[in-house]
Amino acid sequence: MLIKSSEITSEMVFNKRRRLIAAGLAVLALPAVDKGYALLLQKQEQAKQPFPPLASMPELIPEVLEPTPLNIITNYNNYYEFGYGKDDPSKATKSLITSPWTVDIGGVGADKPGLYDIADIKGEYAIENHVYRFRCVEAWSMVIPWNGIKLADIIRAAQPNSKAKFVRFTTLNDAQQMPNAGWSGGAYVEGLTIAEAMNPLTLMATGIYDKTLEQQNGAPIRLVVPWKYGFKSIKSIVKIELVEHMPQNTWWKQNDREYGFYANVNPRFDHPRWTQATERVIGQLGRKPTLLFNGYGDQVAHLYPDPGNRLYFY
Amino acid sequence: MTITVLPLSSRKHLLNIALCLALMWGIYDALMGPDLVSDLRSFTGRYGAYLLLVSLLFTPLSQRWLWVKRHLALRRNIGVWGFIYASVHVIVWIALEFAFDWQLMVDEIGGNLFILLGILAFVLLVPLAATSNRWGLKKLGYRSWQSLHSLTYIAIAAVMAHFFMAQKSDVLEPLLLGCVLVAVLLWRYRHAH
Repeated sequence: MLIKSSEITSEMVFNKRRRLIAAGLAVLALPAVDKGYALLLQKQEQAKQPFPPLASMPELIPEVLEPTPLNIITNYNNYYEFGYGKDDPSKATKSLITSPWTVDIGGVGADKPGLYDIADIKGEYAIENHVYRFRCVEAWSMVIPWNGIKLADIIRAAQPNSKAKFVRFTTLNDAQQMPNAGWSGGAYVEGLTIAEAMNPLTLMATGIYDKTLEQQNGAPIRLVVPWKYGFKSIKSIVKIELVEHMPQNTWWKQNDREYGFYANVNPRFDHPRWTQATERVIGQLGRKPTLLFNGYGDQVAHLYPDPGNRLYFY
Repeated sequence: MTITVLPLSSRKHLLNIALCLALMWGIYDALMGPDLVSDLRSFTGRYGAYLLLVSLLFTPLSQRWLWVKRHLALRRNIGVWGFIYASVHVIVWIALEFAFDWQLMVDEIGGNLFILLGILAFVLLVPLAATSNRWGLKKLGYRSWQSLHSLTYIAIAAVMAHFFMAQKSDVLEPLLLGCVLVAVLLWRYRHAH
């Protein structure tokens, strides 16, 4: 093959190119180096790190809540069992069988365990309406008008004993009903302390905007813990256990560097990869400041006696 | 057998129209969806990365397949379109995500490798896109043009590392693209004309 002499890469260019290619390979390795370095640091800092006391944080006055439109709430979801994309859960076939549906309530901490039909649960207690801010750990937020029952009522009915220190929740895990059921290697699990579970803000939601919960929003019954990042608000619950030891929740298990048990919303404690100081309000442009405990500090700050402990905030 | 349906220049125009329509479709789809900002951000980010990687694949593949070699002239268009997608990606971040709040942006960037890699990639791509035309080639001369454009290796590596870090748990896609890139880089390291 004939090559014009002007097209032949000169040795100097060739050597420079080799250096740049090597640099490119090094750049590709940066995420791994970053992760390794962070793991090294984590060993040293672990549980306690100087952290601004909560009292010193500026008071932000929560604004009047304006609910996000229903079509946004039902089309923008994280529900990995139905796919990783935000619109996968709403586009997925409506394959979840929500009736009949039973919730198994038990564990060592329950003196009166039982298997409850969803219809009975809904019939037993008054359905309350609560408009809550919903803040995802991915730094986006919505305002959702929930309909539901206080979790405290359901727990009281199971007659908790002195062994009931934590509550462990489990999502349905059925590959026939959920196309991506195996993403985390088992059922999605979440947990709360018994005090968090008994807090009057904590809700078992069965509807939004007075409409029955849709599959992508966690039908037929889901948890809502408005002062914690959204992944704590576990969907499509089939089991509630009152247990003695802190359960390991799915995201903690998946990535313990970025997610833990408490996951309380805190604008001063950033996610390793992005800021938590502000949030994108879905459906609006720009960002707004994130509130400590998502604006519910008055009701829940007392649950966390050592506010300097960073464990509470991821 | 050579089938020439359209002359190369027409194919170039067709490619330009197709990639422009694809971008417009992405914008339209994001406008219709619930979250304009993140939809548009991930559409332009993802496909910008694909386009840049494809532009890099031209040289090694043209050594193997003649039909790729015949289309070598399309490489520049694909690279420039990769830059256009990346520009929309950056504009979405500045104008829609942060609504020109520079202080917030500085806070977000501070020591965040994920965003720093994205910025590095874009900054490197600017001079490359600016000289990806006849004027640039003439102005620089072939040797220094070639030398300057070797920066693509770092730029695209930064793009892929950024893409990888953007994922919460499903890293398969950027991992595969990253493997392709490593293969291209290793091939490039060993071969010259």
